[in-house]
Amino acid sequence: MVLTETASRAVTDRLLGSVTADDGVAFVESEDYSHLRFAANTFLTSGRREGVNARVTVWIGKRRGSASTTDLSDAALKQAVEDAQTFAKLAPVDVEYLPSLAQQTYKPGQGWVDATSRIDLPDRAHQISDAIAQSEKGGIIGAGFHQVGLLARASATMHGNFNYERGSLVSLRMTARTPDGSGSGYFARNHFDVARLDTARVAREAIRRASDSRGARMLPAGTYPVVLEAQAVADLLDSGGMSFDARNADEGRSAFSLPGGATRVGTRLFDPRINIVSDPWRPELSKFTVSDEGVPAETTYLVRNGMVETLRYSRYWAQQKNKKPSGPFAFILESSTPGSSVDAMIKTAKRALLVARFFYIRTVDPRSASVTGLTRDGVWYIENGEIKYPVRNFRFNQSIVLMLAPGNVDLIGVPERVASSEGGRDPLFVPALRLNAFNFTSQSDAV
Amino acid sequence: MIRREFLKVASTALGTVGLAPWILEREAAAAAEVDAAKSALADVALATAKRLGASYADIRINRYRSELIATREQQVQNVQRNQDFGFGVRVLVKGTWGFAASSIVTADEIRRVTQGAVDIARANSAFQRKRVTLAPVERVEAKDPFDVPLDTKIQFLLTLNGAAMKTADVSFVNSSMVWVNEQRFLATSDGSRIEQYLIRGLPQFNVTAVSRETGDFQTRRSLGGPQARGYEYIEKYPWQAEAQQAGEEAVAKLKAKSVEPGRYDLVIHPTNLWLTIHESAGHSTELDRALWWEADYAGTSFLTPDKAGKLRFGSPLVNIVADRVQPTALATVAYDDDGVPAQRWYLVKDGVFVDWQTTRDLAPLIGRKKSYGCLNADSWRNVAFPRMPNVSLEPGAQDTSLDELVAGVEKGILIYGDGSWSIDQQRYNFQFGGQTFWEISKGKVAGMMRDVAYQSRSTDFWGACDGLGGRSTYQLNGSFVDGKGEPGQVGVVSHGCPVARFRQVNVLNTSVSMT
Repeated sequence: MVLTETASRAVTDRLLGSVTADDGVAFVESEDYSHLRFAANTFLTSGRREGVNARVTVWIGKRRGSASTTDLSDAALKQAVEDAQTFAKLAPVDVEYLPSLAQQTYKPGQGWVDATSRIDLPDRAHQISDAIAQSEKGGIIGAGFHQVGLLARASATMHGNFNYERGSLVSLRMTARTPDGSGSGYFARNHFDVARLDTARVAREAIRRASDSRGARMLPAGTYPVVLEAQAVADLLDSGGMSFDARNADEGRSAFSLPGGATRVGTRLFDPRINIVSDPWRPELSKFTVSDEGVPAETTYLVRNGMVETLRYSRYWAQQKNKKPSGPFAFILESSTPGSSVDAMIKTAKRALLVARFFYIRTVDPRSASVTGLTRDGVWYIENGEIKYPVRNFRFNQSIVLMLAPGNVDLIGVPERVASSEGGRDPLFVPALRLNAFNFTSQSDAV
Repeated sequence: MIRREFLKVASTALGTVGLAPWILEREAAAAAEVDAAKSALADVALATAKRLGASYADIRINRYRSELIATREQQVQNVQRNQDFGFGVRVLVKGTWGFAASSIVTADEIRRVTQGAVDIARANSAFQRKRVTLAPVERVEAKDPFDVPLDTKIQFLLTLNGAAMKTADVSFVNSSMVWVNEQRFLATSDGSRIEQYLIRGLPQFNVTAVSRETGDFQTRRSLGGPQARGYEYIEKYPWQAEAQQAGEEAVAKLKAKSVEPGRYDLVIHPTNLWLTIHESAGHSTELDRALWWEADYAGTSFLTPDKAGKLRFGSPLVNIVADRVQPTALATVAYDDDGVPAQRWYLVKDGVFVDWQTTRDLAPLIGRKKSYGCLNADSWRNVAFPRMPNVSLEPGAQDTSLDELVAGVEKGILIYGDGSWSIDQQRYNFQFGGQTFWEISKGKVAGMMRDVAYQSRSTDFWGACDGLGGRSTYQLNGSFVDGKGEPGQVGVVSHGCPVARFRQVNVLNTSVSMT
């Protein structure tokens, strides 16, 4: 069930109504989520879950306690408050306590579409059956995942703030493999509006890539120029390898830290065309506009024309540093110049590897935002403007900061809404990139 | 942990830890109320499913309690307790699965949600290509009531933070402990009624040393991992001593020698090797991966169904066992979510890959009549699917020590603790970091090294294993958050192993200059 604003407010009112502590914040999240999973060209699991979660955090003399429950009965909510207050009495003083927010002004997001909340079960089964039929027709083994998520969340404070927002999301991701296991392709798209999700295209692209990646050749590991599709860029940027957290930078434990306690804010760390922006109202992105701390979103340039303009601040760290606290992060990477298409990047490349996707990305050196991971589901060798042949997968070790540094970024594409293939549902708005150098450190046998 | 084992844990904890009385009273009341109703509620689901045409149905009515205490230096960042209660109904209609779940545990809601699960199965069954069949399972009647050990541990964590900060130049320390209690009830249309009580804990810390002069920083995370144990884990493991050692080592890493890339003999401590076992042997032997059921997300496996009993996985020293009955291991249960009894079996025997991890709907696909019991859901809200049992490397027959393994190395590295990890979607190519690295020269441990990651191919790596520590070097470690599946679920799993030696493994230097 997705609670309405009125129903959500009733829950937060009941929670805060039981609070006898000095301060408190109440949260309620409700969801209606369903999925259909298929593999080996047959349906696997399919299900729906509905649930709510109510949480309360209280402070007694700056001592903090928190509790949550999935039961919205009066008794359960009172018990949650009592638990939180019991913990608060036992806890030491929270030296980072800040009074809960007074009334804030929120500009609503646009990430909810009624039609997405009314997806019909037989229609969905039919669409996924069509995707499987496309695989069967192409002699391909398909696996994929269709999901519909509806989420509402609200929070209220004892100082009079209240916010409520809801979002819808529908997505399809598909991996197509040739029966002999020599080719594999992946494609995924999601949207808050079901009318904007082209399930046939997802299947078509995944199948095409599987066919085109058959018979891959082994190339030596090394440093290559690359064309990274938007999916691969999203995979890297959503990996957590490059954190814009201000506190970490100030404390000297981030790629944005400098010796002597300074940070790289104000330095031109990235290619001068690159802008990294947080903007949840960007029409194609339309994300939540309230942070977990209740801070309203603002359109914020973290990087403007390659210069690090600001970092992201929690309420506490913002107060310590006399900065504005940050709202939720809606990740956009875009060029200040017109973007190139992937086709144009290929046609003008003398020699490069085209990479469709990355997988299993983990940080290896936080001092330089360096990550390792592997290519997956499609690498192709480009020479003199043409794709010549598919290539076997590689492991890479690469600094994300140096990847985007001046001199390494060749061409920047047009941003697309795309979610990390490993990270889940939260979309980014990022372009394809052509880079002069990318470090592949070993070969992988995996297909 | 089944009831009897838990009661032992609970009584130990109750004897040594002051529990807040309200916790016990409320939990006991809630448990009694739900226990009385569970069986009747299950009957509602199973009867509804049968009436609607399901050939099989099960219902899991589960309660999850968790507690988190997080600190940094001498501050408490968060103290939080969570309650999560609900049910999930799984039905099989015309050979097609349907699942639905809700947090409202009433008879009316169970009827509505069961109808929903059947609707989903029926809608999909019209397009189903391959119908699901289930391997048979013995009917089970077991009930394990329980009690709960809990307490605030703030002073413990703040003292631990103080121990870590004793070394000059330690800049930061974060520590936390997470406790989880699962109260699972499963009823199936085959007639099983199973109740289980599970408890597990994850104490951990991370120490950071920052050099303001050079801009460098290094970290040292705790080596003790999560276990299915009560608070006695806190009392019996030397957490405070390890925190102090971690502070010293984080500072020492700032000045440690950066590794020269190349091939080294590695002596790998269980605090690091568990993760390599998990990724290269645990996931590769999952039958759902081999059958491409995970192709869209976690991936497939280099082990294909025709390779069981034939493929050389490692050297003849390598014996890897799947085990859901091992005490204190995270994936240990009495019965899985299919109602299949927990078991122990070999995955790799004398270096040869011999068997799979299976569930009731996987076993028939390779001609097996019985499941090994690997079905699990991480919550009432998620559909159960194949998850990894505890997968462990057996110790050597001789009680070889770490020092004896080191003595056989001319040029090598001794590695403690898990660090960065990554492996490809078919489990061939992996790269692992660690927490501390020690140069081995001429059979002796020399100074500390840093910036080390080892990279190899699963069968090459296990084939290079030429020495195993004995039983006295064996340790359990594991993961609280093993991700798999769509929608994604987190699994808990332990991996035991002795210290082990591997010859001529590729080592990278992970340091990247920003200038």
